[in-house]
Amino acid sequence: MKIISFSSMLMLVFGFCTATAFAQDQNERLNMLEESDKSQQRTIEQQQKTIDALKTQVNQNQSPSTATPVSPSQKASGLFGGSAFTNPNLSIVLDAFGYSSNLTNDAMANRGIPGFTTQGLDQRQGLTVDSAELFFFSPVDPYLNFYANLPVTDAGIEIEEAYVVTTALPEGWQIKGGKFKSNFSRLDSQHPHAWDFWDIALPYRAFLGGEGLGGEKGVQLTYLPALPIYTIFGAEVLQGENDLLFGQGAEEGPHAFTFFVKSSVDISDYSTLYFGPSVLFGKTDNTNILPGAEVRGNSALYGLEAVWKWKPTSRQALTIQSEYLLLTQSGTVTDTATGISDPLKRKQDGFYIQGIYRVNRWGIGARYDTINVFSDTFKQADVQTDYGKPRRVTASLEYNPSEFTRIRLQVSHDRSDTVTGRTNDEAILQFNFTVGAHPAHSF
Amino acid sequence: MRKIFLSIALSLMFTTSAFAGLNVLATLPWIGSAAKEIGKDKVNVTVLAKPSQDAHFLEAKPSMILAARKADIIMYDGLDLEIGYLPLVIESSKNPKLMPGKPGNLDCSQFITVLEKPTTVDRSMGDVHPLGNPHYHFSPSRVLRVAEGITRLLADADKSNASYYEANYKAFAERLHEKEKQWHAVQLQGKKYIAYHKYFEYLADEFGFRFIGYLEPKPGIPPSAGHIEGLIETMKKEKPTAILVTPAYGMQAAESLSAKTGVKVIVLPHDVGSMDNTGDLISFWDKINTLLK
Repeated sequence: MKIISFSSMLMLVFGFCTATAFAQDQNERLNMLEESDKSQQRTIEQQQKTIDALKTQVNQNQSPSTATPVSPSQKASGLFGGSAFTNPNLSIVLDAFGYSSNLTNDAMANRGIPGFTTQGLDQRQGLTVDSAELFFFSPVDPYLNFYANLPVTDAGIEIEEAYVVTTALPEGWQIKGGKFKSNFSRLDSQHPHAWDFWDIALPYRAFLGGEGLGGEKGVQLTYLPALPIYTIFGAEVLQGENDLLFGQGAEEGPHAFTFFVKSSVDISDYSTLYFGPSVLFGKTDNTNILPGAEVRGNSALYGLEAVWKWKPTSRQALTIQSEYLLLTQSGTVTDTATGISDPLKRKQDGFYIQGIYRVNRWGIGARYDTINVFSDTFKQADVQTDYGKPRRVTASLEYNPSEFTRIRLQVSHDRSDTVTGRTNDEAILQFNFTVGAHPAHSF
Repeated sequence: MRKIFLSIALSLMFTTSAFAGLNVLATLPWIGSAAKEIGKDKVNVTVLAKPSQDAHFLEAKPSMILAARKADIIMYDGLDLEIGYLPLVIESSKNPKLMPGKPGNLDCSQFITVLEKPTTVDRSMGDVHPLGNPHYHFSPSRVLRVAEGITRLLADADKSNASYYEANYKAFAERLHEKEKQWHAVQLQGKKYIAYHKYFEYLADEFGFRFIGYLEPKPGIPPSAGHIEGLIETMKKEKPTAILVTPAYGMQAAESLSAKTGVKVIVLPHDVGSMDNTGDLISFWDKINTLLK
């Protein structure tokens, strides 16, 4: 009973309070409402005016430049609208293979090309993971792009390439500086994993070594004029560290130079021809040309390259590629044991031709390479040594499950050791994997 | 000899300045067509891809580099569709006007709403486009926005002709709106289709139909026997209207699936100029609409 009366009292008090408050407020609130209604009316009128003004403006001038921005997908995009995949650009290429030959590991290590190189084959029977190559790319600032290629091998990490390229020079000029692969010839300018075969062509091995010229420290200047057909002119100043054609100690400063011209025409919508001459010359001083002897002098390597690519459909392509190299070398050859020197004169050449046909995921290729083709001058103290005609034939079959994986079976019959006459019959099963945003390969 | 040299030098000097208008380089025919609608005779448009070529399989060629060397503006689809060749072409062109971040580098995808942008992506999913589906040229409304962006760029780059470009844009927009009424009169809402590649998502988005399966198990991965079997099962249940395919990408597989299921194949043009009577953007969409009727 008590509880009920208490609660009813409470309700009464509460009701009274609110009632008086309500009565007091009412007039005030009515005034406020009227006021706000008026102000809303004013706002509406103003907005109507703005709308009308906008309407007339739009009707007068329906030009897109006055329209509001239309970028619903405004995003912080990377390079070329690229994703996080592509800026900064980072990728890894893994090269693994199984190797088999009729020769022993020792025989291969001692297998040079007589009259050209004493450097043996750096191959072992069995399984090898050659390298995991790291590629970096990023713009440095509005004027320079940076590239690096760092192969990680059992021996550690190397700097194969690390260079900057200008991006803001006008009229088709460009400067590259750092350690880079020379554009002197075709196979030299490509990364080994982009080659159509597992190994380098025989003339390269004979004149430049198993890895070609490789990354060289230097500066490159190129010029692409706006001509009716694609023609690029280039010149390079290189340190000259290749230990077969040049040699680190041949001279203290840069002692290797190149000039090259490359042209290309589209013969039809489906086929393209690419060709050009080049020259690489400089000072030589190394002990890798003849056994137990040091060769010093001047060398020039002239090159001529031609590539024809036919791509009749999107999943079918035939590429025929050939290069001719001619070496002239004059200097002295010094026996490292006796110290006796003789004049040396060399004029030797070589060429290779290769074709690869790719359809869908498959590719089939063939290559023929030979040296001492038209010229085989090797005169030590004016006495000619005849080294015969080293040559090799190669066939390959590849399967590419995706753009990022390549499996290649290659067999070759190598008759480059003309002195002992022993052939090297090789079979290689190679696996190549690319992860990340690997930049597109050039033509 | 000296005369020859002189004439070569002179012709070199004049080749760059001989053209009056802006040199526009477009990666794909539809982009070239859009640039042409706006720029008309005030621009020289060059297109890298041939209409018969599929955009996915282009490779860098020296002639592309030369075209980029001569261009004032490069216009591209974006969303990584051109990642296989365009970065190399631009970089090798040695043309500072086209470098990323410069006004002469126009990524057309910046103007549109992207479909199918994956939240997670890696390459086990196939050659998926990590930024979303790049084939937005099947959507007239999106291409109109691109045309608007192109108009602003051209008007900025060539101020003396700004009103000319704006007038051309207006005319194009009006013609398109007229046509859109016709296209939307064709009832495609709710229809089900099969496609070879994820090519027509924007078309479906625009006209309200949908896809119940694709011949490619993953983008860029050719169909396997097992995948086709599953697809045939789905088709039996769902009864799609047709299998959609383009002339340059997946025709054979689509025809063999059609033979197995009795569902007809409709070959749609993949770009402007890839089939008869698809010479410009509007006739390209017109053709698609007629084929789907």
